[in-house]
Amino acid sequence: MPWRSETLRVGDMDVHLLRGGRGEPLLVLHPEFASSRWFPYHDDLAQHFHVYAPDHPGFGQTPCPHWLESIEDFAIFYADLMDHLGWSCVNVLGLSFGGWIAAELAALFPERVRGLVLVGAGGLRVEGEQRFDLFARPFEETLQHLFFAPDRWLQLLPTEPARDVILRTYREATTLARVSWNPYFYDPKLERRLRRVRCPTLVVWGKEDRFLSPAHGVAYANAIPHSKLELVADCGHLPPLECRETFIALVLPFLQG
Amino acid sequence: MLQFFYFHLMPWPHLPPDFDRTEASAWVTLSNRFYDPQRGHELYNEYLDELEHAEELGFDGLAVNEHHQNAYGTMPSPNLMAAALARRTRRAKIAILGNAIPLHDHPLRVAEEVAMLDVLSGGRIISGFVRGIGCEYLSLGVNPAHSRERFYEAHDLIVRAWTEPGPFPFEGKHYRFRYVNVWPRPLQQPHPPIWIPSQGSTETIRWGAQHRYPFVSVFNSYALTKRWIEEYKDAARACGYEAPPAQIGFALPIYVAESDSQAVQEAEPHFLWLFRRGLKMPPSYLLPPGYITEESLRKFLAAGVRLPSDLSYAELLDRGYVLAGSPTTVTNHLLSIHKELGVGIFIYSGRTGDMPKDKAWKSMELFAYEVMPQLRRLTGSAVAPPTSARSRGSCP
Repeated sequence: MPWRSETLRVGDMDVHLLRGGRGEPLLVLHPEFASSRWFPYHDDLAQHFHVYAPDHPGFGQTPCPHWLESIEDFAIFYADLMDHLGWSCVNVLGLSFGGWIAAELAALFPERVRGLVLVGAGGLRVEGEQRFDLFARPFEETLQHLFFAPDRWLQLLPTEPARDVILRTYREATTLARVSWNPYFYDPKLERRLRRVRCPTLVVWGKEDRFLSPAHGVAYANAIPHSKLELVADCGHLPPLECRETFIALVLPFLQG
Repeated sequence: MLQFFYFHLMPWPHLPPDFDRTEASAWVTLSNRFYDPQRGHELYNEYLDELEHAEELGFDGLAVNEHHQNAYGTMPSPNLMAAALARRTRRAKIAILGNAIPLHDHPLRVAEEVAMLDVLSGGRIISGFVRGIGCEYLSLGVNPAHSRERFYEAHDLIVRAWTEPGPFPFEGKHYRFRYVNVWPRPLQQPHPPIWIPSQGSTETIRWGAQHRYPFVSVFNSYALTKRWIEEYKDAARACGYEAPPAQIGFALPIYVAESDSQAVQEAEPHFLWLFRRGLKMPPSYLLPPGYITEESLRKFLAAGVRLPSDLSYAELLDRGYVLAGSPTTVTNHLLSIHKELGVGIFIYSGRTGDMPKDKAWKSMELFAYEVMPQLRRLTGSAVAPPTSARSRGSCP
């Protein structure tokens, strides 16, 4: 499936995005580890949707604006992007950090999300559940923790020269730290606000997620009114990258239903 | 005019025997069950004895600093140690190198404590400001991406609190107070000297030069120190002045013994303790996200800055991270640093790592009796006023 890279001027920002496919738009929000990348699951989705996969502000080729200080700023940014693209209401699919943004977007602007897919989404804290501290661990160790099968993390290894990788991952981690250093990777206000989400919601979680345990998926499903939780067996934090066929078989009927 | 400071980290030397194999770092995750308060009591008092003895030996100043939740330096509050020194010393400057102001949610507390110390000590305080090292942002939960903004803002608040009649409001991004009105006010006017110890980030160097705050390169190699000092001097020139030696400092672990070979040999385990154990930390502890700017990271990568724990003893010596030698060697080395880099403030970091007391005292006395006077003579510097040298100071 052909896709292209382009930069949009949205307000005071140059937003880089990848897009491909045809049909209804589907906004895909990338996890914190894989900006500016088009994976096979994008192709699968692009068979049925016009997939828009922007780099979050402060990730990949989208610069970090000075005003970006909280997770709500990301959600408001995406509402602005939707305005720019002329979308009043759209399907949104988010992975990990991107899932957290998607959840905030649906809670703050419930009328603008038609269908919501949360995959291993950050944003909630579950009492007693250990969370992997990605800020304290080496990048490669973090990548290894994302997968159940031992070698699957290699697909996320960056391909740029080593020095560029260090600079980009440091820049992206800095963006992440700005909004999620403390409280770490969650928003204390989100759980209550999720009552506001109106659209059908599919929560997908790897049963063997060592990065953010499935208990967090249960918490999402409990907090969002019209939601359904699907656990994927033998799968880690990122089902679209580890168990693509199972993932697509869950997501397509949901989005097309 | 050279100034000599005796600097103590107050390390916790009693690491678990399998530390090298089992522990990722002496910071953040090293369990405090390895701290023994009874031994700590003895060590604190020995360490303070050493600082007090340094005054008797003629050091111009004594230096303490702030570090949290680690074995490298057990001084979470340098102001407490400065207070202890303020009452037990009479002449020496007391340099706090420094208070890690972004780590504090209440910078006015720092303004108050330093003002208290200045009044208590009769105006002997030098107030260093630092950002704290990366590990401390993990340990204290402060966002490293806010580190620099908080540093500047806390600095502005503290200086205004010291110099402007209160009460006045302060509205920053990270700190907001409706009534800034610090009691007591500092004794030194307009405020105690502010020094900037640094690992060499570009922004800090420029900012320090703009404010004419002395820049102190801490535990860097000779080559890196040279680079950062040149940057600082360039930044000063861009502000229209030449940075004098009184504005340029170098802090490094120094060990003096009777001969070069003896010094190198005797210091080895302790210097290695400092770099291999005390400073052992993964990159994620050293540089948490946002702690440095992309520009500085680019500069460090280009300069080939390595983790201190990766350096061999020969490299530490050859590259000038540490200095060990006879009095003559140490004198010549520091003289060349003074001449080549324009350093006027030498900060002797003593009792490094797990160094036993007898070695620490021998070295500091050789430094005080044989190195400092020579350097003062060779550079035409005034000698510190005599005190009751050696009254309590004989080597135990």
